[in-house]
Amino acid sequence: MVNRKLIKDLLNESACSHNKTKKASCDKPKPGATSGGCAFEGAQISLFPYADAVHLVHGPDTCLGASWETRATLTSYEGENNTPLGYCTNVTTQDIIFGGDKKLADALAYIVEHKKPKAIFVYETCVTAMIGDNIDYTCKTAEELFHIPIVPVHSPGFVGSKNLGSRLAGEAVLDALVGTREPEFIHPFGINLIGDYNVTGDMWQYKPILERIGIKVISSLSGDGRIEQIQMAHTAKLNVIVCAKSLVTLCRKMQERYNIPYVSVSFYGKRDTSNAIRSIVNAFGDAELIAKAETIIAEEEAKLAERLRPYHLMLKGKKAILNTGGNKSWSIASALQDIGIEVVATCVQKATEEDVAIASEYVPIVFKNPGVEQPRLIDEHKVDILLAGGRSLYTAIKKRIAFVDVNQEKKVSYGAYGGLENLASDVCSALANPVFKLVGKAAPWELV
Amino acid sequence: MNLKELRTTSIKPLHVNPLKLSQPMGATLAFLGIKNCMPLMHGAQGCASFTKVLFTRHFNDPIAIQTTAVNDITAVIDGGDKGISEAVENITKKVTPDLVGLFTTGMTETKGDDIKGATLLLKEKQKMVYVHTPDFEGGLESGWSLSVQNIISQLIEPTTQIRKDKVLVIPNVNLSPIEVEKLKEALELMDFDVLALPDLSDSLDGHLGVKQGALSSGGISVSEIEKLGDAGLVMSIGRSVKKCGEMFHEKFPQSTHLHFDSLIGLEACDAFYAQVLNYLGSKSVPSVVKRWRARLQDVLLDTHFTLGKAKIVIADEPDSVYGMSKALQEVGASVEAFISQRSEIQDAFTCGVRIGDFEDVEALLPQMDMIIANFHAERLAHKHHKALLIRGFPNYEQVGIGLRHNILYEGSCAFLCEVNNLLGHQ
Repeated sequence: MVNRKLIKDLLNESACSHNKTKKASCDKPKPGATSGGCAFEGAQISLFPYADAVHLVHGPDTCLGASWETRATLTSYEGENNTPLGYCTNVTTQDIIFGGDKKLADALAYIVEHKKPKAIFVYETCVTAMIGDNIDYTCKTAEELFHIPIVPVHSPGFVGSKNLGSRLAGEAVLDALVGTREPEFIHPFGINLIGDYNVTGDMWQYKPILERIGIKVISSLSGDGRIEQIQMAHTAKLNVIVCAKSLVTLCRKMQERYNIPYVSVSFYGKRDTSNAIRSIVNAFGDAELIAKAETIIAEEEAKLAERLRPYHLMLKGKKAILNTGGNKSWSIASALQDIGIEVVATCVQKATEEDVAIASEYVPIVFKNPGVEQPRLIDEHKVDILLAGGRSLYTAIKKRIAFVDVNQEKKVSYGAYGGLENLASDVCSALANPVFKLVGKAAPWELV
Repeated sequence: MNLKELRTTSIKPLHVNPLKLSQPMGATLAFLGIKNCMPLMHGAQGCASFTKVLFTRHFNDPIAIQTTAVNDITAVIDGGDKGISEAVENITKKVTPDLVGLFTTGMTETKGDDIKGATLLLKEKQKMVYVHTPDFEGGLESGWSLSVQNIISQLIEPTTQIRKDKVLVIPNVNLSPIEVEKLKEALELMDFDVLALPDLSDSLDGHLGVKQGALSSGGISVSEIEKLGDAGLVMSIGRSVKKCGEMFHEKFPQSTHLHFDSLIGLEACDAFYAQVLNYLGSKSVPSVVKRWRARLQDVLLDTHFTLGKAKIVIADEPDSVYGMSKALQEVGASVEAFISQRSEIQDAFTCGVRIGDFEDVEALLPQMDMIIANFHAERLAHKHHKALLIRGFPNYEQVGIGLRHNILYEGSCAFLCEVNNLLGHQ
C-alpha cells in the first residue's frame, strides 16, 4: 500500500537543494491550474526502460491505454523487448466491488507462463489504491511461487507529480532489487548510471567513451538496463546521476547503505560532456584514469570540431531564444553555444531555482513571461531562431523567424559529442527552411 | 489464494497491448467540439495529462483541458465539490469559457462524487455540463456518446417551434474533423441548415489560428446548442450515438430521427441519400453527388481484383471497424474484426468479430495480408511483413489526420483506393 511516511520523506529530501526555500516541483497540484503528469507516469518513465521485465499496470485501462509505446527509449536487449509493450489488468466495475487481487494474481500467472520475464513490476494506480487491493501480498506470494522478482511499485497517480513518482520507483528498485545478486568479481572503476532513460539512444552517445577510458557501467536506472545488473548495483564504486534531480534520494540512500558516493552530471553539449567525464574520473582520483580521460576528451573534441566545421559557416553569428522547461533551459543553451550560436535569452518559467541559477551563468537574459517578453526580445536583439514548445510557433510565424520545437518527442539524440552534430543539423535545416517566412504571408484578399 | 489453480482460468485476465481508450478521453473530444469550452476532467492530474499528450500528438495541435487534480488527501475528505469549485475558480481567473464540460474518471467514480451537486453549487458562476464517465466501464465511443446525451438533456432549451430544414448531425467519435465538414456540406447542398454536435470540423481540423488559446478553438457555440430544439431532423451517425438521436427525439417529439450505422461504401451511402430524400419528399440530388456515385461504382470495379482476394484484419473502435468492414466486404475482401469494447453494433457485423487486444490481433496476423488499426499496429506490421493502414486513435506517426476524408461516395472512393494501393505495394 501507499507509504505516507516515505512520501513525506521524499518530499523533504535533504539532498535536494531546491528544498531549502521552496518545494517547487514537490508541491501539491492546484485544481484547474495544473499541467504535467502524475506520480504513476513518473514511475513508468523511470522503470519501463527495463526491457527484460514485464511492466504490469494494475488498474483500469486508461492509465496504460493512453501511454504505452510512447517513449523512444532504446535497448540492446536481445530477448523480447517489453518496453514498448503494454500490460494492464483492465480493472472493471466487478473488480472494484469484489476486489482486484484475484485478477492481479491471474495476470501474473499468465505473464510468467507466456512471457517468461526476468522480473515483473506491478504498478498500483489510483483506483486499485482506493479499493485497497493487497498488492504487496499478491506479489510476495507470486514471487515465492514463480521464483522471479515481482516488485510492487506504490506510486498511484494521485499521490503527486511525475517527479515524486520517479522517486518512488527508485525506492522500489532500491528495496526490492539492489543488493540481491553478487557479481563474479568487482570492477575497480564500476559506476551506476542513474536517471538516463536512453531516449533516442542518448546513453549510447557517451557510454562507449566512458568504456574506452576504462570505466565499467555496472548497472543503469534504467536506460538500456537489465534486472540482473541492477541487482548488483551495490558493487559499483560511484553513482552517476544524469540530469535527474528526482533520483538524488536514491543515491543518498545508496551512499548510506553501501557507501557509494555520487556525482551529478549532464551530457548535453561539448563543455558539459567533457566536464561530466572529468567529474567521474576525478571522483575515482586515479591518476592514470584521469590522464587517459584527458587524452580521450582531447581526441573527441578534435573529432567534433572537425565534424561541426561545415555547420559553423551557417550558424556563426546567429542569435537564438530558448523557451523550454527544467534543466533544458540551460543544458540546451549550453549545447547551442557549443555549435556557435549566440543564445540571447532563455525562459525559466518552468525551472527550479537551482536551474535558474545555472541558466544565468550560461545566458545573459533569463525571462519568466514568454507571452510578453519573447516577441519583444526577438525584435530588440534581431533574433534568427526560436527554440520552444509548439505553443510558441505562432510567435515565430508572426515574427517570420525560424522555429525548432524542442518539447516535441525528438527523433534523434542530442546527447554528448555525437548528438551535437544532430542538433546543429536540425538548427541548420530550420534556418534554411523558407517555410517560416512563407506561411505567415498575407492572403491575396487581405492585401490592400 | 491458490495461484496454481488460478492458472487454469479460461478468460484472459489482462490486456496485453490494449486497444481500448477510456470514456474520459471520449468526453474530452466531445467537449473540444464546442466553441470556447474547457473540458474539465475530475480525477488525478495524470488522467488529463495522458489525454492531453495523446490528442496533442495525434492532431498535432494544442489541446485545451484542465483537471481537478485530486490527490490522495482530497480523494478521501472531499466529496468532489471543493476540488471542482476550486478548479472552476482557477480556470476563470485566466480565461472566460462559455462552457465547462465536467466529467469523471475511474477514481472519482470509485469514491462516488456528487458532480451534479457540485455543478448546481456553481450555477451562478459558470455554465457547466456534467457527465459520469468512469474509465472502468465503456470506452472512447461511449464517453463521447454519454457527453452528447448530457449536453442534449442539460443545455438545449425547450421549444415548440420546428424548422423542417434545420438538421442536427450527431457524428460518432471516429469521424475526422474534415469528415464532419464534408457531411455538413453534403446536407447544405440539399438546402438544409446544418449544425453538428459536437463539431470538430473547425476546432481540431489543423488550421493556423491567430492565437493558440487555452480554450477549444472552434466548434458549435453554446448559444447554437441551446437553440437546437427547433431542428426538424436529427441524424445520428454510428451506433454509439444512436441513443443521442433517440434522446433528442424524445425531448422534441416533433422532430424526425434518422439513424445510420455507417457512411462508408455504396450500400451505406445509398441508404443515407434514400432516407434523406424520403424525408424531403424529393427525388433530386445535386449533380456532383450523382457524379461521385458513378465514380464509386467504377472504383468498386477497379479495386475488386486486388481487394477481392485480400484478407484484412481491422482493430479499432466498434463503429469505425463496422463501417470499414462493410465497405471492404462490398468488394469481396475477407475481413476479421477486433473491437475495443462491447457495443450494440456487434450483432450487425457480417464478418468475424471479437473484443480483444493487440496480442489477440497479432495471433491472427500471420494468416492475413493487411492490418488496419492505430499506430501501435506499425510494429506488428513490420514484424510480420504485412501491409498497414493506420486508422483510429492514436496516430503519432502521420500528419494530416484531421484532413482524412473516408465517408460518403467521395470518401469511400479514397478509402478503397488507398487500401488497394497499399496492398499492391506490399
